[in-house]
Amino acid sequence: MKIDLDHIEINAVSKIYLNQQIPSLKDFTLKIPSNTKFGILGPNGAGKTTLISIMCGLIEPTYGEVQFVKKDNSIVLGKELKKSIGFVPQEYAFYQELTPVQNLKYFGALYGILKKDLAQRIEDVLEILGLKSVAHKKIHTFSGGMKRRVNLAIGIIHRPSILFLDEPTVGVDVQSKFAIIQLLEKINLDKTTIIYTSHHLSEAQNFCDQIAFIDKGQLVCSDDTQQLLNLHKSSNLEELFLQLTGQQLRD
Amino acid sequence: MYKFFASIRKEIQLLFSDKVGLSLLFGMPILLVFVITIVQDSAYKMVNENKISILISNQDKGKESKLLLHQLDSSGLFNITYNNQLNSETFKTELINRKILTGLVIPVDFSKKLKEKAKSVSNGMLSQMGLIEAKKQTKITIPSLKFYHDPILMNNYCQSIEGMFNSYLSIVENKLMLESIYDEVGIEGGVNSLEKELRNDQVKIETIVAIKSETKVNPNSSQHNVPAWTIFAMFFMVTSLGGNISKEKLNGSFMRLKTLPTSFSLMLLSKMLVYLIVAFLQIIVIFSIGVFVFPYINLPQLNLPHSLLPVFVVVLLTGLSAVCYSILVGILAKTQEQANGFGAISIILFAAIGGVWVPTFVMPEYLQMVSKISPLNWCLEGFYTLFLRDGNWVDLLPVITYLVSFICICILIVIIRLKSKKLL
Repeated sequence: MKIDLDHIEINAVSKIYLNQQIPSLKDFTLKIPSNTKFGILGPNGAGKTTLISIMCGLIEPTYGEVQFVKKDNSIVLGKELKKSIGFVPQEYAFYQELTPVQNLKYFGALYGILKKDLAQRIEDVLEILGLKSVAHKKIHTFSGGMKRRVNLAIGIIHRPSILFLDEPTVGVDVQSKFAIIQLLEKINLDKTTIIYTSHHLSEAQNFCDQIAFIDKGQLVCSDDTQQLLNLHKSSNLEELFLQLTGQQLRD
Repeated sequence: MYKFFASIRKEIQLLFSDKVGLSLLFGMPILLVFVITIVQDSAYKMVNENKISILISNQDKGKESKLLLHQLDSSGLFNITYNNQLNSETFKTELINRKILTGLVIPVDFSKKLKEKAKSVSNGMLSQMGLIEAKKQTKITIPSLKFYHDPILMNNYCQSIEGMFNSYLSIVENKLMLESIYDEVGIEGGVNSLEKELRNDQVKIETIVAIKSETKVNPNSSQHNVPAWTIFAMFFMVTSLGGNISKEKLNGSFMRLKTLPTSFSLMLLSKMLVYLIVAFLQIIVIFSIGVFVFPYINLPQLNLPHSLLPVFVVVLLTGLSAVCYSILVGILAKTQEQANGFGAISIILFAAIGGVWVPTFVMPEYLQMVSKISPLNWCLEGFYTLFLRDGNWVDLLPVITYLVSFICICILIVIIRLKSKKLL
């Protein structure tokens, strides 16, 4: 059952990690409307993973807060929030010694999907992601692209209202990348808000309808993708990003 | 409960997918119990049942050396090879070449000097008593017997053989002394009947096992090795469970769990339950081998205590100690290599100081104190109390207190660590 989300509010969020002097996020404020394909874009080390980790509840912000606001202005909290969130981390966060079916049965059960529905959902998701033929094979024998698809399958098995993806297409072949993007498009049509980080700006330009540029832990700009390009008279996001943040090399 | 069962199913699947871990949990202890019990049992049989091979060169012509050899032969403890042609130079080479473990050279004039000594002592004794006139005493040096042994023989083994020689020498010396005394006072033919009388009324040593109850417990290599190596195997689950936890921590599974509508403690509880079952299975498998298989291969049978409830409690606490220690190592380790390396080494050290390999009473005093920190020592103590001493609940109280405290401390550290990582 999907929640009636209106938007996600990131209010003046800062994050300073232990033993670090420079904040990874500094006074970050952003509003993400529901049902969008929202890209959080920036170079390596810009603070994208920190931001998405705070939004998922993996880490606590040093200052500020993230709120998931429903259409009736109530805030989604606790178990209801966790049930509504899907998370696809950069790492292969599953058991490689097990098969995709075994992993999906485990994580599906933890999401509270009843046994009678789970089998069908597993079959569907494996079919969509082209993993049906390897459903009962140990994942450690899979290619990087297949492992990324399993990672995604686990994140969407409970049909979340909000799906967070941290660099979901890093290190995958073109076919796998295409399959992943196709599926994300389909999920978004099914009223799932997709929040996605990437440093592949061309991929984001094609996929995201809204974006936020982040650099050195700060928000550079945020808007509808096409409007931003038009406003700054840029032909693509790479050109726009360089225009906004300069050509200085990042650490 | 649905999530809990799913977690248990996943743990079982992970366990079965780890073939190396499974063989360490079951194959290794079975092998260890077999090998160590056979080795220790053979060592016991070598001293107590098998004959000791010995090469003897008798350079003496007298009857006392023959009497000594007769004593050695009739004891049934030695498998004697004679070669009187060998001198002290060639004897060693012959011993090495023929691969005989021990050797004895009786020197020239051994009997003669032994007789002279007996005569001198008896004369001194009787003259002091005023029964005969004192003769002039001359210092008599008896040439020593030469005992050779292979360098692989342990000191205590050699000492026990020397002890046997000494005891047979005493018989020869006593007989000579009596003969000499009878001779000095001029009585004929009384030595043999007196010697027989002395032998018949010898003090006997009765061996009694110091246990409280009247139950007949037979301490043997199985009673020690089966529980000891099962405990070792149970704690060795640290390489499987500890490694498994640190792997989950590193591969992002823990991280993903943080975003799920579930409790982290559920995952830990399912791990605890599955590995506790593994610990019980280890006990059942290895103890069954001790009870049912050992007698078929000529090893002493493992005798179970008459009451199984205390055994169940000790097994439960041992299993929980092993599981909680493994979880602690897995949670604290930063890498899987750390968990496996530290886990395995710590268990080997705990086993060494805990008395799994050699009993703690043979250790220096400071190490006996140190052994008290080893959970394996207390687990072993629990099994000894039941399997060797036929102890009761009161005897088990210190063991139960220590193990419950150990389990609580491990769990407490795990909770503190997980809370600091915001996982609980």
